[in-house]
Amino acid sequence: MIIDGPGRSAIPPGTLFFSMSFDRLLLLLATLAFLGALGHAVVALRKGQWKESRWHWLPMAAGFALQCGFLYLRGQDHGRCPMTSLFEVLVFTGWSVVLLYLVVGPAYRLSLLGAFTAPVVAVMQGTALLLLPDPPSPKIAPNPWLETHAALALIAYAAFALACVTGVMHLVQARLLKKHRIRALFHQLPPISDLAKAIRRLAAFGLLLLSLALLSAVPLGTSISGAKLTSTWMVWMLYAILNFLMWRHVVSARVISWMAVGGFVVPLVSLWIVSVK
Amino acid sequence: MRMETNEERQILCLGVNHRTTPVEVRERVAFPEAKLPEALETLKSRDGITEAVVISTCNRVELYTSLDVNEPAGHEQMRQYLVDRFGLTDEHAEALVCYKLSGVETARHLFRVVSGLDSMVLGETEIFGQVKQAYKVALEAGATGKDLNKLFQRAFNVGKKVREHTAIQRGSTSIGSVAVELAEKVFGQLKSCRVMLIGAGEMSRTCAQSLVSRGASSLIVSNRSYDKAVELAQQMNGRAMKFDEWEKALHEVDIIISSTSAPHFVILPEMIQKAMKSRRGHPLFLIDIAVPRDIDPRVNEIEDAYLYDIDALSAIAEDNRRKREMEIQVGEQIIEEQLVKFGLAGMPVRGAREAQA
Repeated sequence: MIIDGPGRSAIPPGTLFFSMSFDRLLLLLATLAFLGALGHAVVALRKGQWKESRWHWLPMAAGFALQCGFLYLRGQDHGRCPMTSLFEVLVFTGWSVVLLYLVVGPAYRLSLLGAFTAPVVAVMQGTALLLLPDPPSPKIAPNPWLETHAALALIAYAAFALACVTGVMHLVQARLLKKHRIRALFHQLPPISDLAKAIRRLAAFGLLLLSLALLSAVPLGTSISGAKLTSTWMVWMLYAILNFLMWRHVVSARVISWMAVGGFVVPLVSLWIVSVK
Repeated sequence: MRMETNEERQILCLGVNHRTTPVEVRERVAFPEAKLPEALETLKSRDGITEAVVISTCNRVELYTSLDVNEPAGHEQMRQYLVDRFGLTDEHAEALVCYKLSGVETARHLFRVVSGLDSMVLGETEIFGQVKQAYKVALEAGATGKDLNKLFQRAFNVGKKVREHTAIQRGSTSIGSVAVELAEKVFGQLKSCRVMLIGAGEMSRTCAQSLVSRGASSLIVSNRSYDKAVELAQQMNGRAMKFDEWEKALHEVDIIISSTSAPHFVILPEMIQKAMKSRRGHPLFLIDIAVPRDIDPRVNEIEDAYLYDIDALSAIAEDNRRKREMEIQVGEQIIEEQLVKFGLAGMPVRGAREAQA
């Protein structure tokens, strides 16, 4: 294993273990922690032994700590917020998702949300580690406005990701209730009213952050490309409509959940656009 | 841990519970918590008793002792202690039916108690805390020693293990509690839920009572006989409504329980569709207890409306009963494994019987 210091060179996709830098090792361990959280949840659910417990937070918290380590090392390396490539953007978004989960989960007693969040974050980080190139540190002077804009936007996207995950939980629980399938998962999933409330708050919180991100882009003038801004505005529009529909109660909770789940494709595409354009 | 620490010393249990003794007898021998330290001291002052723990809850009174006398004499000491302490008359003393356990049966019984397998509500968790508190009082009063400390510590470990590895608490087994469980999965807490009872049958009344006991905020009772509706509403702190008015109030309530004797559907999809428009995305939970059914099953196809009829509720209750039976077996198996692990299994069962004094 080679442990790189600052100023490391480009790392091709899929580089693991023997030529792995320390920060990538932390990321790999974080991904394994999230997979461990998922595995633990699946086994506990299958045995019908899942209970609200602080121990469920442990693998998620461990993964989060390892993510923090990765981002810290990258921040040191770049001398700025580590969001310089799609690789890092995915990791930063994953970190934001776990951060929000650790905040939202206890508030709503949604420890099972971790079981649904863990695979999303593991897939994001796994994709970054295995499929994406990891370019060297860009030699660009830090711009606080740009970094604020990017960080706010990515945390907003994380809120949308968590709304998507909560939407999946709502759809599953609503279906179990409709079809009278009172199984182990039914007992573990939170009430549909609590899940609907969590979706509303996450979508509203994400929209607020994204609005702030767009406002913070104003002083940047032309330094953000049109494609990036357009895609971000599209995401903003989508979630503004979703929030309006929820506020006016125009559509059912099930439709809202489907929108939260399906709509997350738009932020994902936008992530790709803002990272490569 | 040795249950019989030498030729003379052994651990015994003597007790009464909800199965062996009616409440009017149990209440005569109940220990107020404040008096427990003094009670333990007097128990320990009896001949041969070296350690003691007293568990006194609404469903059981049990004395655990480590003592230096033989088993029949030990049990007699403990029983006489209850008679003396509570000043029981001969008639009351005769009515005091106690179980008398010794050796491995004492450990097995305590393990079952802390695991909730011996409770009236199977798997309830409160007993674990109650036993822990009783032990703490005895420990602080200096009434425990090596034998009972080991026994109780192991019992707490077994209790935790049984709860961790089984789901004995899960799943309601009566129609009323299934209805409550489902309602909680729709609304979360029931504090702000409003319930409407259409028809005043016994089963619907039980369901409504269960919901109100879990915090449902208000109850509307509508019945063809208005007098009966008023009577039931008064009994349940609710409001009576004339039978031709309930349809107008559909949008105001969160849970509808219907049990009329009508030969046709009373609640139709179009009524619920209309009510849902005013509910602004808030779900509606409908329970149809009537046979023939009161609520058109197509109501369940409406967004955010969840309908359960009597068959669906019964099937869930039955399924839960079956699962609980399986979980009890798993719990008992864990206890037997732990008895083996602690070197207690296979010991001679000397006092495993229920005896009438």
